[in-house]
Parts: sequence; C-alpha cells; structure tokens
Amino acid sequence: MQLFNKLSFRTKINLGIVAVILVFGVLLAFLVSRVAATAMSGEIKKRGMSLAQSLAPRATNSILALDFLRLKNMVDEVVASSDDIVYTFIQDIRGQVLSHNFKSGFPTMLKDANQIPPGASSHIQLLNAENELIYDFALPVMAGENRLGTVRVGLSRAKAEAAVHRLLLTIFAVSAGVALVAVGLGTLFASTVTRRLNVLRQSAEEMIKGNLALHISPRLERNCWEIRDCHKEECPAYGDTRRRCWNLPGVLCPECRDGSYEEKQAACRECLIYQLNAGDEIQSLAESFEVMAMTLDGHIQELEEAEKSLTRQQQLLKTILDVNPDLVSLQDENLVYQAVNPAFAQFCGWPENEILGRTCAPLFPSEQAAAHQAENMQILQTGGHKSREVPVDKDGEKRWLHMVKVPVYDGDRITGILMAARDITEIKQYQEQLIQSLKMEQLGRLSGGVAHEINTPLCVILGYAQMLLEDIPQDTESYEFLQIIEKQAQICRRIVSDLLSFSRHIESRPEEMDLNGSINEVLDLVRHSFKQDWIDIVPSLAPDLPAIIGDKEKLKQVWLNLLTNAVDSIGQDGTIWVGTRLDPQTNRVQVTVADNGSGIAPENLKKIFDPFFTTKAPGGGTGLGLSVSFGIIHDHQGTITALSPAPGEFWENFDPAKAPVGPGTVFILELPVSREKSLEETFTEAAPAGLPAADQNAV
Amino acid sequence: MARWCFFVCMAVTCLLIAGCGDDEPVKKIDLSNREEITVIKPPAALTYAYLPQYSHNVSYKRHHLLVEYLSRATGLTIRQVFPDTFDEHINMVGRGEIDISFSNPYAYVQIARRYGARAFARIVEGKGEINFRGQVICRADNHRIKTPADLKGKRLIAVDAYSAGGYLYPWDWILEQGLRKKDFLEIAFAPGPGGKQEKVVMGVYSGKYDVGLIRERTLPILANKIDLKQIRILAHSRWYPGWVYAARRGLDPDILAKIKKALLALDMKIPEQRKILEKAGFTGVVPASDADYEAVRRLAASVESRD
Repeated sequence: MQLFNKLSFRTKINLGIVAVILVFGVLLAFLVSRVAATAMSGEIKKRGMSLAQSLAPRATNSILALDFLRLKNMVDEVVASSDDIVYTFIQDIRGQVLSHNFKSGFPTMLKDANQIPPGASSHIQLLNAENELIYDFALPVMAGENRLGTVRVGLSRAKAEAAVHRLLLTIFAVSAGVALVAVGLGTLFASTVTRRLNVLRQSAEEMIKGNLALHISPRLERNCWEIRDCHKEECPAYGDTRRRCWNLPGVLCPECRDGSYEEKQAACRECLIYQLNAGDEIQSLAESFEVMAMTLDGHIQELEEAEKSLTRQQQLLKTILDVNPDLVSLQDENLVYQAVNPAFAQFCGWPENEILGRTCAPLFPSEQAAAHQAENMQILQTGGHKSREVPVDKDGEKRWLHMVKVPVYDGDRITGILMAARDITEIKQYQEQLIQSLKMEQLGRLSGGVAHEINTPLCVILGYAQMLLEDIPQDTESYEFLQIIEKQAQICRRIVSDLLSFSRHIESRPEEMDLNGSINEVLDLVRHSFKQDWIDIVPSLAPDLPAIIGDKEKLKQVWLNLLTNAVDSIGQDGTIWVGTRLDPQTNRVQVTVADNGSGIAPENLKKIFDPFFTTKAPGGGTGLGLSVSFGIIHDHQGTITALSPAPGEFWENFDPAKAPVGPGTVFILELPVSREKSLEETFTEAAPAGLPAADQNAV
Repeated sequence: MARWCFFVCMAVTCLLIAGCGDDEPVKKIDLSNREEITVIKPPAALTYAYLPQYSHNVSYKRHHLLVEYLSRATGLTIRQVFPDTFDEHINMVGRGEIDISFSNPYAYVQIARRYGARAFARIVEGKGEINFRGQVICRADNHRIKTPADLKGKRLIAVDAYSAGGYLYPWDWILEQGLRKKDFLEIAFAPGPGGKQEKVVMGVYSGKYDVGLIRERTLPILANKIDLKQIRILAHSRWYPGWVYAARRGLDPDILAKIKKALLALDMKIPEQRKILEKAGFTGVVPASDADYEAVRRLAASVESRD
C-alpha cells in the first residue's frame, strides 16, 4: 500500500484501468467460457438430439423396408453434414447395427455404450474414447407405438469446445486490446490531469517559497467584458485577465448578486459568462487557487504593513522605555515580571532577560521585596494605585525615588501592575538647597539688620577712638590701647560693610563701559601692594573687546574680590594671570583670573560661593566676597565658574621661574556684550535668582 | 480497505462457484476394438405387403397388428414387407417376395394379369361398403378452377400410375369431362417411396400443383398436418371395388386357407379384433374372387385407350 501510494497518479490510473479490464476480462472470459461451455454443451445436446430426431423418423421407412443402402446414405449424410459428428449408426430393435459410418469395422463397445432407459424417450451419454469426449445420442426409431430400432449419433465435445476456446481467445485478445487502448487513453487523460495537477503543485511550492504572483488558470479567449461588450471600467472584473468574475466581489454585472460567496456562486452558475468560461473541476480549482494566492498575497502585504507598523511601534515603545531614565516594569497577576526597561534592570543590577519571569524577591533586599509584595497584593485586591517617595541605598549612596504603581486591566479583570519610578534625588537636593537658600536669605536679612544696628554704635566707637587718639600722646599705653580699639573697630566696620553689601540690594546703574578699563583700574590699584609679596600680575586683555553694559563699580569690586582671593591662595611668590577675550559664537566676553596658588579642595569647590564659607583663619575673611561677586555677576546676566586645579593650558601663562604654590585656581566669568541680546541667548543658561553659586561651580 | 478486499474476494468466489458447471458422468470406451457388421437375413416367413399408397410408417401402423393377428391365428410366421413403390410391389409379387398382397384393384389386375395372383378376400369399409372412389381436389382459394373445363392447362398430380383411387378412378372422371393428358400443363405422380396419397395432398396444398387425384378417406389422415379447409374437393369418381387381398401364384393352398380363414374371422364386435380392424382402416373382410374385378379391368382398358 505504501508502494502504491508512492506511485504517480498516471501510473495509478493505468494500473487501475488495466486491473479493472483484466479482472473483468478474466471474469468475463471465465463466466463466458462456463456459460458458453454450458450453452455449447446444451447446443451440442440439442443439435445431436435434433440430428437423431431428424434421422429416426426417416430411418423408420428404411428399417421397415430393410433398405440398407438408404440407411447408409442417411448415416453418411448426417456424418458429412458437420465435422464434429464423429459417428452415426442405426440399430434395430435387437441392437443389431443396421448401418454405420465407420469404414473399418464397427467398434464393438459402442453398441451398448448408450442404452435408452425404460420409459425414457432418449438418452445422452458422454463417452471418453481415446481421450476424446463424445456425446452419444440414442433415440428410438418408432413406428407408431412400436420401437423399430435406435439411432445413435456421436458428437465430438472437443470440437465444440474448440469454438469455446476460440471465443475465449477472442475475449482475451479483445480484453488485451481494450486494455492497451484504455491504457493509452488513460495515459492521455491522466496526463491531462497530472499536467494540470503538476502546475498546481508547482504553484503550491512557489507559494511555499513566498511567490504568490501565480499564473495558473489559462487565459480566456473572451473575457467577460468582451462578451458583454461592457465598458464599466470601475467594475473590479474589468481588465482583470487573471481572475474570474464569479470569484470577485462587487462585480457590476446585472446578473451578479450581492451577498455571501455561496449566493453569488449560485447566481453565477446561471450566468452566460460562467457557462462560457467555466472549466472543469481542475480549472475551477486552479482559478480558486489563484484567487486564494492573490487574496493571500494581499493579506500578507497587509500583514507585512501591519507588522512593520507594529515593529515601528514596538521599536518606538522600546526606545521610549530604553531611553527613559525612569524605572518601568510590568508584572502579571502572579507578580512575575513580564517587561522591564534598561533603567530598571540597571537599578536592580540584573540583566533584563534574567529579570523577566522572576518576582521581586531575588531582585531586592528581603525587606524591600516584602514591602513590594504586600503593596502589590493590595493593588491587585483593591484596584487602587500607589504613589510615594522611597529612599533607597544605591551603591552606598542614598537615593530618592518617586514610585507610582497602577493596576493594569484587561476588561474588568486586573491582569498586572505597571510600576514607574523616577529618581528624584537631585530634586530632593534642590529642595534642600532651596530651604538652605531661604535660610540664608533670612540670615542675610537678619545680618543686614544686625549690621545696620551695629554700624552706628561702631561708628561712634571708631569716631571717639580716633578723637581720643588725637588727644592722647602716642607714647602712652592708652594710645596703644586706643589704636587697638580703632583697628578692631575698623575690622568690625569692614565686616559690617560686607554684611550690608551682601544683604542690601543696591540698585545697579548699568551703562556702557570698558571692561578692560575697569580691570586695569583695579590692577593699577593692587599691583604695588601685591608686589610687596612677590606676586606678579600678568594681564592679557584683548584689545578689541567691545563695550559691555554693566555697573562699573560693582564689577570692579568683583575684580578686586577675585584678585584678593588669588593673593590669599598664593600667599607669597606667585603669579596671577588676568585675561579677557570675546567669544564670537556666544557674543559674550570672557574674563579669566587664574593663579598658581594652593587651589581649592574638591569638596569645597561647590561651597565657595556660599555666604560665610571661608577657609581663612578667623578674622582673615568674612566668607562673603565670592557670594557678593556671584550676586553681582548674576545681576549682569553672567556666569562665574571655578576650576581647581587649574587646567594645563593656563600654566603656560605663569612664570616658570617661580615654583607653584599649589594646583592653582581659575575663575572664568562670562558677561553678555549686549544685555538684551544676552537675555535672549542665555536665557536657558541663567541661574535662577537666589540660588547659590554651587550650580555654576559644578560646571 | 480490508472490507473492500473481503467483498471483492466474496464476489469473485461467488462468480467462480456460479461458473463451475456440474460434471457429467463419462463412460470410457475403446473404439479400436472393431468388428465387421454383416447383414442378417430375416428369418424365413410368409410375407405380407400393403401396397405403399402411404408411407411405410403408416403402412406399418395400419397393418402390423393385423400381421401379428394373422401370425397368431394361423400359427405361421408372417412378416410385413415394405415395397417402396407400386411397381416394386407388383414386381415383388412377381418375384415371390410377397406372399399375401393387399392392394388396390388396379394394382391387383396388374399382378393378376402379369403374375397370376389371385384375389381371395376383399375389405369392407365404413358401414359395409365394399367399393370406394377417388377424389379430384384443388386449393380452396384457387378461383381459377370453377368448372371441369377450368382444369385445362393446369398442373395435375396423381398418386401413382397404378393407383386406383389415386389415379385410375378420378382420371376416368377427367376423361369423361373431355379432357386428355395433353390438356394439362403437367401431369406428375407422387415421388419417392411411400406416402404417396399424402404427397398428392401436400403438392396441391403447397400450390405446386393445381389439381390432385386422391383416394377418398385420404384427407382425414392429414387432418393433424394441414388445414383441410384449404382443400376443396372438385369431384368424386364413380364407385369401384375396394382393396383386395391376393395370394401369389404358387402359395400353398393350406396356408392360403388359414390366412383367408383368419381374415374372414375378423369381427368388429370383438374388441381386440376391432382394434386391429380400426388400425387397418376397414371394418371387415369378405371373400372375393378374381371375377369381382372385371369392372376394374375394363376401366383400365378404357382409360388406357382414351389416353
């Protein structure tokens, strides 16, 4: 059976035809042979009996007349009438042979070989004479009711059977011929079928390969629009030589019926177009196959478009999730992670693919995991959402997360939990700094008030001390004490002055000014005193610097503060490099003050612009100089940045003969050339009012 | 699949069983052992012959009981012989091969004249009729024959040239109508041995001949073979003496006496003998002599002279 299944369709058809024809040929031959043999046997018997019956009455007269010649003639006539008559003889009532056709004596056994039984009118006996079967017919010769003798006729069954054999041979020959013709016709028909089936198979293979542009069904001699002489170009069947109109929806033929495919097909079967162009089942299959391929092609293209769109959306969503700094995760109803973004994976310290399929237990410390578990179960049970700020330890650092958990619904059922957490550590820091700024603002106002209150008595103390110094001789101890009082009072006055400068918001008077000029004025003022400490000032001022809009006096105070800080950082024997330049890209002027002093420790770098922050010895400074400078620069819509240690590009400006005191410090200030222009260009860069200068320092 | 195989096998088996014939019993014989067949001469017996106006078979049927009766009654061995023709019958009487001849009067006058046979009995037919006559017949639908003159130019068949009822008697009637042999298109006699009366009727019935001459009482014999309505009897001849028993010349008178006695003893009243007589076609036998047939001799002479 398996072998049979492997045979080609054509071979099966041929085998089937040959088998059917041979089986029926054999059966027919067998049956015909049996029927023919029986019929022939019957015919032989009838014929033999007929011969005997025709001979017997004719023999009556001759027997009565004892006319042996006539009897002999009768016998010979009978034998000569057919070659299958072996013998004929006539016996009298005593069995004596009166006449026979044997030429050399009469076979003795033949006389009594066939006796008519009493009461019978005749008898037929099959004789086997020397392997030749002979039907022996015995018929009485009667004269009225009296029997005169017996007529015996012998017919050869073999000769009669030869006719049957000839018939069989004919049947077999005809069967073989029919089989050959049938095989030929079967091959022809099978080829017609198999050729078209092969086309279908190849088409199916092409479909498997993805080629859906199939051309299976034959071209029609006349298409539907040609038969109808129709010019409905808007009809979907018009001009479509590949698909049949009865397979297309929306055909505009008046006979075409809208509705289901079956209803349309039922209507189309009555249509003239269908009756003219419809083929057999295979052609119908090919046409349906082609329609299916085309429809499939369309669906696949739609699917591909949908897949591309889906892929784009997935990619977009993945990009959004991947680049999203927030922690995003999706857990199913069993609290197993189904999706996480890289930020979440990075936060957990696990690869994304390893997180998926796990619960939060292995990802977080046991206490956090338990808290998450309880919180998630509550969301699943109540359907509410959670939003809270959570402090977490990340690499030994305290971080703040703002975590939101919402349930995910599929219809009415909660199928998971979406969690989004944002790192708000910096916002927290801003909040703390804002609080600190508010404190400092309050403190500044308080200090200003205190300084204002102290300033008057201090002026009185200083005034009286100076008056007493004029009155008291200089070599007295009292004079010395008064000097000390005056000196300390001067220190207090400077402190109060700083406090007042810091706390009091003095209205600026911006006007066009020469930046290099203001710097040179300060340098001229301090150069001599700095020289005493072997500190060189190296100016490098850009000559073509444009004028800026600013308060010259306030900016001079800034230059002085920066130079003073540089001197304090160097101590003795150092170099201060002061440079200006115009940045054509930002249209801002840049002022750089670099020194090779002791520098600023990294931990202090963020704090140097904080009020009252100082590393100087008590009485050495109020810690307000840089804060005041920051405020002035901020008022001018500028920025100030501190770098320490000083970048290597600045070291070439220092005197190499002098050994550096430390890593050095660089203050870089940028001021807009035009205030309005600067407001537009540097809007995003401006620090919010009141914020500490640490922001800028971080740059 | 298995079910289909089963059905196919069953169908083939049924066909094979149905196709198998019953074997007939065969008797084995040897045809090589042979012997020469010699004609066995019939045992010596008194021979009895019935003029073959009918077939041998009819002759046998009619007279074999009578022959058996005569054998029993006389104690003699009597065998019926069957001459094929009237001529042969006459000749066999002349050769002595027929001892007792039962013939028509015309044949009798021939054997009496030629071979000296002598009549010793004559039959009685019907209700004591000792004479009989002939008939002229044609087809009932032969409308061309309405009068005796219409026979002219027709084809005629008779039983035999020596037949009394089947030729001599009706031919006499034809001659009396003024017709002669030359007036007929054809005159034929029934061919072959025996069955001559029937052959005349069949010749007319088949249309081969227009007119037939037969002995009266012939037509009823063919009632089972043809439609007698298709036969029309044109005329009857005169009555002449009937059939006669004659002994050949030289037959032992004692034997003849025994035979005559036995024949004359037949009686329709005796059932056994009635059956014999009915088979033979007559009702009794009466003595006769040669003189009884002078009328026939004259008729024959007259006919021969008119032909």
